[in-house]
Amino acid sequence: MTDNAIDIQGVTKRYAAHTAVRELTLRVPTGSVYGLLGPNGAGKTTTIRMILNIIAPDTGTISIFGTPSSDPKITERLGYLPEERGLYRKMQVRSVLRFLAELKGVRAREADRRIDEWMERLSLKTPEKDWGLAKVDELSRGMQQKVQFIGTLLHDPDLVILDEPFSGLDPVNAQALKDTVVDLKRRGKTVIFSTHLMDNAERLCDSVCIIARGDKVLDGPVTRVKDEHGKRNIALALNGGGMDGIASILRDTSLVKRADDSNRFFEIEMAAGADPQVLLRRVIESGASVQRFEMIQPSLHQIFLQKVSGAAPAGEAAAWAHVEDGMSGHG
Amino acid sequence: MAKLWAIIRREYLERVRSKWFLIATFLGPVFFAAIIIIPAWLASRSKATDEVYNTTILDATATGFGQRLSVAIAGDAADRKKIPQVIVVAPAELAAAESTATRQVMSKEKVGYLVVTEQTVAGETAKYAGRNASSLPDMSQIRNALRQTILASRLEKIGIDNSRTRELTFIPLNFSTERITERGRGGSGMASVMFGFAIGFLLYMTIIIYGQTIMSSVIEEKTSRVAEVVMSSVPTNTLLAGKVLGVGAVGLTQQVLWIATTYVLLRLREPIMVRLGAPTTSFALPDISFGAAVLFLAFFILGFIFYSSLYAAVGSAVNSEQEARQAATPLMIMIVFAGVFIQPVLLNPTGTTAQVLSLVPITSPIIMPIRMAVTGVPPLEMAGSIGFLVLGCFAALWLASRIYRVGLLMYGKKPTMREMARWVSYSR
Repeated sequence: MTDNAIDIQGVTKRYAAHTAVRELTLRVPTGSVYGLLGPNGAGKTTTIRMILNIIAPDTGTISIFGTPSSDPKITERLGYLPEERGLYRKMQVRSVLRFLAELKGVRAREADRRIDEWMERLSLKTPEKDWGLAKVDELSRGMQQKVQFIGTLLHDPDLVILDEPFSGLDPVNAQALKDTVVDLKRRGKTVIFSTHLMDNAERLCDSVCIIARGDKVLDGPVTRVKDEHGKRNIALALNGGGMDGIASILRDTSLVKRADDSNRFFEIEMAAGADPQVLLRRVIESGASVQRFEMIQPSLHQIFLQKVSGAAPAGEAAAWAHVEDGMSGHG
Repeated sequence: MAKLWAIIRREYLERVRSKWFLIATFLGPVFFAAIIIIPAWLASRSKATDEVYNTTILDATATGFGQRLSVAIAGDAADRKKIPQVIVVAPAELAAAESTATRQVMSKEKVGYLVVTEQTVAGETAKYAGRNASSLPDMSQIRNALRQTILASRLEKIGIDNSRTRELTFIPLNFSTERITERGRGGSGMASVMFGFAIGFLLYMTIIIYGQTIMSSVIEEKTSRVAEVVMSSVPTNTLLAGKVLGVGAVGLTQQVLWIATTYVLLRLREPIMVRLGAPTTSFALPDISFGAAVLFLAFFILGFIFYSSLYAAVGSAVNSEQEARQAATPLMIMIVFAGVFIQPVLLNPTGTTAQVLSLVPITSPIIMPIRMAVTGVPPLEMAGSIGFLVLGCFAALWLASRIYRVGLLMYGKKPTMREMARWVSYSR
């Protein structure tokens, strides 16, 4: 037995026109919740598909619980929820789930028992209505998403891989998914998910890996990643007034290295050697009404923007624009 | 194995339970029954109808010719009612009698009337007018009765007595027809050509229908992204194999049901014909040996694997049914090419064209069974045909599996032929 659920060593995947993943090395500790972060086109889905042995790496090795990922037996310990979701539309819900379970080596009778359990837990089966007997077509989108979760987890996998699990989820199902992830961790399962929603990642993940354009930018436990980026950030919240003054302060590069402007809330990264007290004084002098001024650890969002734009070869502004494009690509 | 079985079972059960399958499986035999029974029924229509009895004979001969003609038209119909009514008229009153008879026909009291005169007895003219004047069988029966009666009158004139006359003119000829082809076979040859055509047509239709079924099935899995979940559980080759085998089993089920019901219908043909009042002609089924049946099955399975794996590859490369229709054109051309040769090969099953086409995997699954049905195929040719087809299947499966595993994960624009060729070279 190994401590790593996933061990990726120097993996590269090239397609005709571009390199999707370049020399990627990362380890996912068993029993952790792991976030794979990056803008669209960063290579997250390619990495996930290689972990699942849907595609093979050109070079490098991937092992899952100490077994090569190409071993067919290992697939029965994996659960996968792809980014784009769908089911056989004309099939009965129960038949679809039984089919998915059988592909993971669960016997029909055992599958039936677990389907009932899950359907009841996610209130798809109530004394009045058993949606398991309906066709997939007849279910609402939210219900179909629930069925898809069940399909991913029916065989009680030790490693659950979720590709952009929050995209397209309504708030109720998003909460159900978070609860499920926490529950899986409590039961000693490993969960790895890709996302570009930093808030979710920050709250859920034990460790993260940020990749951009096929390269790993950083990885490690969330707490360590944040520590390494120091307490150099200021959270500033205003009660309105003096906005013009603030803007000119934030443009002062001797004081501010970078600022994330959310209109009334700012996350500010101090320039090297700058004194936060000077910043506070200048903000007050500008006539703004300060509601909050706090020295904080940078958010994952900030680190992400900083790191991903830092990795940009073609000038910072362009890279920022690129990242923002990527972020708005999904809900 | 258990996973392959799960995929096969899903493909099979979902399709067999579908409305489309039930309708096609039910309508198939109805169609075959129509093919078998309608021609015989139409043939039975060529017998004269009862209408010829509901006619009037205006007899202006004053020799009792009309009475004898009436009996001749009735023939062996013993029923007294089934006999044309005879009205003896003087030649001068004929015009008036004709207009009365015309009115009767117009009021639908009678179907028609026949005028016999001196010229009729002389074998020169006779006239019929009626609603069924365009019915060839009715007119032919009346004409035959006229000839027979004229002949009888002539025989009587030269002194042959009444009973001898009847004896001499009564010719209950049963005229059977048999076709001779260049192979010298008659009726049973015709049956085997029909059988060969049926086999060829069935294979042709099944390959087209179920090839496209596989293609749609792959497109559904790709567009609904189920494919990705399945691919994370089983190797793509297993998925492809499960699809081909599952859908193939549906096609086989349908054919077995069709063939079985057709066989039963052929067995029941005579009772059905008797019910319809049609003559029961013998219809001998060609004898199929067990070995030949196994070979038919082998060609069906191999031909199906060859085409359906290519259809699956096309389905995996495209993003919608509309794109698929266009992308599958080359496959369609290949199958139609084979279909075009069904008739030429039936007519000349031992020619060079037939020999070459039954070696090429594109055409052999359809052409070779046809040849087997209508003629003997040398064992060497048979072995060559199956050998090349098996090789063709391996090539098609290899090509399809490589396109399939890449295509299923590619979304967006439709790939060009060059891109698909590059996919084949991808490691995975």
